[in-house]
Amino acid sequence: MNEVDPDNRYDLNSSRKSFLGITWEQALKGLFGGNALVSIVVLGLITLFLFKEGVGFFGQYRESLSLHRQSGLEYVELIREELDSFSALEKYLNSIRSMQSEQLTAEGMEFKEIKATLREDEEFFYDFEDLGYPLREYVLDSNEVAIAARDRYEEMLNLRVHRSNLIEIGKTQEAEALVINDVDLEQLFELLKSKETDFIEINRKFRQSIPNIIEQAPLYENTELAAKMSRFRELSAMFLEELPGYEASLLSWDRKKPIGIGESFTAFVFGNKWVTNSSIQDWYGIAPLFLGSLLISLIAMIIAIPLGVGAAIYVNQVATPIEQTIIKPYIEFISAIPSVVIGFFGIAVFGTLVREVSGWEALSWISFFPMSERLTGFTAGGLLALMAIPTIFTLAEDALNNVPLSYKEASMAMGSTRLQTIIRIIVPTALSGIISAVLLGFGRVIGETMVVLLCAGNRIEIPRFSEGLGVVFEPVHTMTGIIAQELGEVVNGSIHYRALFVVGLTLFVISLLINYMAQKIVIKFQISRG
Amino acid sequence: MVTKEMETLSPEALSLFGKPTKAKLIERVVFWGFRVGTYFVLACAASIFIDIFYKGGKTVFQSEYPFINVEFLTGSPQTLHVFEHDGASYELSDSDFRVFKEEAGVSIVSDTYAYSGGGIWPCIVGTVLLVVGSMAIALTLGILSAIFLSEYSKPGKVLNAVRLSILNLAGVPSIVFGIFGMGMFVLAFGWNVSLIAGWFTLAFMVLPIVISASEESMRAIPQGLRDASLALGASKWTAIRTNVLPYAMPGILTSSIIGVARVAGETAPIMFTAAYALRDQLPWQGLEHWYDFFFQGVMALPYHIYVVSAKIPQNEYTSRMQYGTAFVFLFIVAGITLISILLRIRMRKKYRW
Repeated sequence: MNEVDPDNRYDLNSSRKSFLGITWEQALKGLFGGNALVSIVVLGLITLFLFKEGVGFFGQYRESLSLHRQSGLEYVELIREELDSFSALEKYLNSIRSMQSEQLTAEGMEFKEIKATLREDEEFFYDFEDLGYPLREYVLDSNEVAIAARDRYEEMLNLRVHRSNLIEIGKTQEAEALVINDVDLEQLFELLKSKETDFIEINRKFRQSIPNIIEQAPLYENTELAAKMSRFRELSAMFLEELPGYEASLLSWDRKKPIGIGESFTAFVFGNKWVTNSSIQDWYGIAPLFLGSLLISLIAMIIAIPLGVGAAIYVNQVATPIEQTIIKPYIEFISAIPSVVIGFFGIAVFGTLVREVSGWEALSWISFFPMSERLTGFTAGGLLALMAIPTIFTLAEDALNNVPLSYKEASMAMGSTRLQTIIRIIVPTALSGIISAVLLGFGRVIGETMVVLLCAGNRIEIPRFSEGLGVVFEPVHTMTGIIAQELGEVVNGSIHYRALFVVGLTLFVISLLINYMAQKIVIKFQISRG
Repeated sequence: MVTKEMETLSPEALSLFGKPTKAKLIERVVFWGFRVGTYFVLACAASIFIDIFYKGGKTVFQSEYPFINVEFLTGSPQTLHVFEHDGASYELSDSDFRVFKEEAGVSIVSDTYAYSGGGIWPCIVGTVLLVVGSMAIALTLGILSAIFLSEYSKPGKVLNAVRLSILNLAGVPSIVFGIFGMGMFVLAFGWNVSLIAGWFTLAFMVLPIVISASEESMRAIPQGLRDASLALGASKWTAIRTNVLPYAMPGILTSSIIGVARVAGETAPIMFTAAYALRDQLPWQGLEHWYDFFFQGVMALPYHIYVVSAKIPQNEYTSRMQYGTAFVFLFIVAGITLISILLRIRMRKKYRW
């Protein structure tokens, strides 16, 4: 035993005893190694587990989507599109009505008089509304048929699973006693398809009566109303032109067309609806959540980058030593505020404050002010900025600190001012560190949960970027928020549960990418000190 | 400013000093911009602290003896009843209200506010339990792993890859750990919503931070110390024990305190793994077996703040509870962080090589 380890020959401290041929040294090494192995395995396991639970989603979603197609629900949805555009027409018509009544009120008319005036041409409005009834009925009826078909089919599948479970545990008799009605989706769909002629008939009537009715449209003297009415004429003409399109899409729709795994993947990535617990069809499209997360993060970063980097430059280059010793720990200390406390502050104080400020007279020239909502993307973004600033500040300050003093001295010796030195020499040298600081700040913001859950307003809709800057002041929902909100109510292994796992996986991958990029940037653009 | 050396210069050269040039003007404006921005950030953070400490302080402290609202710190959350009786208005928490009703002997109609009465003792207990358990797991695994990675492992591509992935995992959002803990411990292992599920979820969340920070502080110790110790004949472990760990201890300590603050402050990972919105019993009450202790859910301060701020409306009665909880929570977490920051500043001065 004495010659096992020549390194230890003169070791006075360690005992020479061994147990089962293992020395104390080796045992310790084993202990440390074992722990390291456990840690690494566990951390690897997290990744694996997320993938395992998430990947099953796409298969399930594919099944759900093909059932959606085979039961004819998709077919009904095509018809519903026509109904939706007709309803939009009605809505436009109603807006003309309410505008007229508003105008009359503004002119100082009595309520009764307004009513009388409105009644003069109410026939036109009612006639137009009546046109929609057959279509509405038709959609309702077919929807009912399709849903019944789908529910019966699902029940059959469930019963089959139940039966095979019974057989597995040996209750053969009970299994045989189960009555399972075979459901033929195709036959049920024929019911729907056979009524397609009704739909064609409804459309024919639309083509016939809409122009007739529009001729009876009231002629307004008021230019605004007249303009709206002529716009309505254009819209209804457009609607008529679209009708053959709906018919064609019905005809070209193929019930038997299979849905591939790729299609369920694109439906998830680009889908613009996230609807759960719906009686018609659940949709899992990550686009509104992803764009919501992105929007909030961008708002936060636009605020945090100038402030964070600016504060880092100020503290590192401009501030007096006393300021430095106070401000640095103070900003680090900000990162200690728990996110749920910041979220609570947002609900209790900041959200109300933002809305009040938006109601100021001085700001009334901004088209989207005053805001109707208290909790919006901006509320969450502003608070998240405060959480990102410490991360950006600390890392950016480190990067500035690492710039060799000789660079600064050389620049000053050439006669440049401090600001010129900062802008031309110090910041460019530290740029890689600053960029990685910004990236890590972004990572912190996009993964933050409590603040967005409490303050973002949680409306699942793709942010309306077409509205310009006003999109900032709309409620949005986020990827982190949806997990926190819905995870509590899902059934283990259900499609919804797996969908949330895929969202979590997406977050995981995003944050890994951001971290990886931040490290790569620092290594690649390291300052050469030559 | 004219100094001694300058007196030897010609008057033309002298006139250049202190002359306001355009570049200097721009410099001053920009620096003021930086200064205003920096102080704006500080002011924003200060407004949060002041708001919560001022409004929360009203709940936690009181003007009469014992100056601290004992009921708030030691009671459990209850419904608050607000009513008028015999011309006087009362605000009583549910248990007091029942006693009062029996004594008065008449039925009293009251406005009720959920969660707004009583105190937050179970939440404090739950948070402490969660922190202690998860840090015990995370520190054991983390520090021992760090010793191995820093002292025993052979440098190479594998080690770098392991290091990189641990570093990357440190930045993964806490909700991802939450969903993992829910799927793994709560559902797959069948632990349900329980202390132990929360412990492991939180421990794995801070594990990457503890490992990378501890390893960092061990690697920062000059190789010379180890070599000198080995040269004197110490074994590897003796060298580590006497020449690495004592100097790395401050770094390990600060990293673990940061871990504590993180564990105490996070809400997302415990929402589905360990936290109950409301539970009557304290964790050590009503246990059938000793091991039931680990398999019960607890109330926790961060989750309680979430519940009282998201699920109940804002008014003067509820906001008292909300701000009081936020005060206590912020006080605890900020206190822990303050210690770690001060410790780090002190340690930076102490060891320099």
